[in-house]
Amino acid sequence: MDQNLVSAASFSSSPILETLGEEILRILYPVSFCMFLVVLLVSALISSDNSSMSLSSIASIAYSESASDSFWSKLSGAFLNSLLFIAVITILTFLLVLLFYLRCTPCLKSYMAFSSFVVLSFLGGEISLLLLSRFVVPIDAFSFLLLLFNFSVVGTLSVFLAKAPISLTQGYLVVIGVLVAYWFTLLPEWTTWALLISMALYDLAAVLLPVGPLRLLVELAISRDEEIPALVYEARPVDTQAGGRRLWRERRNFEGNPGSVSDNDSLRHENPTPQTTMTITVEASDEDSASTELVAPLVSQQPRRQEIEAAEGIGLGSSGAIKLGLGDFIFYSVLVGRAALYDFMTVYACYLAIVAGLGVTLLLLAFYRKALPALPVSIAFGLLFYFLTRELLEVFVVQCSVVTGFYYFYLSLLILLCSCDCAPQCALFVLEESVTEGIGLRRSWLEQVCTPEELWLEKVWNLKELVQERHSYKELD
Amino acid sequence: MERREQEDDEERQQSGASDRLIHRVVASGGGGAVGHGEPVMWPTVDGPLGLSEERSLEYARSFFRWGFFLLPFLWAVNCFYFWPVLRNRSPSSSSSFQRIRHYVVGSAIGFLIFTVVLSSWALTFAIGGERLFGPVWKDLVMYNVAEKLGLTGWI
Repeated sequence: MDQNLVSAASFSSSPILETLGEEILRILYPVSFCMFLVVLLVSALISSDNSSMSLSSIASIAYSESASDSFWSKLSGAFLNSLLFIAVITILTFLLVLLFYLRCTPCLKSYMAFSSFVVLSFLGGEISLLLLSRFVVPIDAFSFLLLLFNFSVVGTLSVFLAKAPISLTQGYLVVIGVLVAYWFTLLPEWTTWALLISMALYDLAAVLLPVGPLRLLVELAISRDEEIPALVYEARPVDTQAGGRRLWRERRNFEGNPGSVSDNDSLRHENPTPQTTMTITVEASDEDSASTELVAPLVSQQPRRQEIEAAEGIGLGSSGAIKLGLGDFIFYSVLVGRAALYDFMTVYACYLAIVAGLGVTLLLLAFYRKALPALPVSIAFGLLFYFLTRELLEVFVVQCSVVTGFYYFYLSLLILLCSCDCAPQCALFVLEESVTEGIGLRRSWLEQVCTPEELWLEKVWNLKELVQERHSYKELD
Repeated sequence: MERREQEDDEERQQSGASDRLIHRVVASGGGGAVGHGEPVMWPTVDGPLGLSEERSLEYARSFFRWGFFLLPFLWAVNCFYFWPVLRNRSPSSSSSFQRIRHYVVGSAIGFLIFTVVLSSWALTFAIGGERLFGPVWKDLVMYNVAEKLGLTGWI
């Protein structure tokens, strides 16, 4: 019986932990890669002496910063810019909710396709032209245009036509994130920081407040069992667990929504193959308690004022894979890019802070199982670490290098890295503790309830294992 | 003792029956795709997350056709997406695989031709430079064209 207990515990707890770690990694790799590319672009293309260039854009329309202004005028101007930007985004998100409510899915999709085409062709073209000029690559106009045309058309198809190879779709989403993030990094400095803070607050409000547009959108999507057409990065589901989880969720759906059983039945009939693994496809509906992606339009600063549909917030896809909105990619990379404009030390610190924040957010996602804003925690950590590093660590490092050379510098950096690295591991440890505690609670309750008759207990255990497994999933809800 | 054995037998029978049911369901699903007893072959590189066979035929065809509109990347995507179809050369695969294979092989040939043509032209342009082309080279190279048209000034 002890072996039964151990096996039951290990069976129900280890799949959660293994797949959670794997799923976190599958989100972490593209986020890190996006940040890395933005840092490369920033260090290759921007030299610190032409920081006076300003964009003719919505984000600086209220105030364009110049280095000679006083502190308060810079601060107020930056916040004015960011408030304007947030206002525009709020209006656009409400417009999106309205369109989604009126079931204008074709116009949403075509708009999304058009905006991603614009980003990939124009923004991508300009950045590659800058790279060509910088590295003096002797490519001729015809082949460049042909390649650019191909790149953008295939990108648009793979992002909006959902059935391209998954790695291609993911790659193009990362590329779109890199391009938009680089473009945002070109904003004046104070405006960038004000914008990041305001976007984090807006994300928090829009997702969690009941009147927030993103929450309305998610609720609409859940009530209608549709997917929101949005630019969202979805990690590949970890296979076995996704299959099991999917089945379990369908079962739960049948119990939880007796009124909508017919919808589920029709859904099952739409997938005619009886294979259990076939139902992992993304086009299936969302479950009652699973969360979906969120959408916040991101205004692109082309002179013709087009917009990009980006999504913010983190959620669980219908296949159980983690979805992270493209807006989160973009703003994380903006923070790291802006840190790169100062020094590489701040880059390391901000990267670790963002990863720790993302880990915390994923942990909260595992607990609450509803759509959560992914920006606030990471941006808060990132900003904190940026300013702390800039003010405190730099002085320390300079003194170290002056006094004793690099030995102490590396030691301190190692300590900093270890302490930052501990954060996601601590998060995973906390999760493990809570899971085992949850199962332990059930075990003790069952031990009290069951009669000590061995024969009967074994039968009950086999039945209770299944219930326990479902209860342990519920524990995480 | 006997009662326990009886009840164990009953349990085993019940669980066995349910197992058999599951196996039958899985086998019929797998059997419908390829043949009895064989593992299921997915036509796309995504495996079970990708397309089914009927839809993948449509996709292969449309990728192949649209590639002729100056979009050789679509041919490359076609080859990459249906890589299992290319790799699986056994004649025992289903007929839809053979039809998909027809388009995928065509896309592969098209992409190969395009790569050869474009790379030869680009390498000639890059390596030959002004010696080969004369002053026209300066007008054709992309960074000069961008400067002339003021394309890099937007950012």
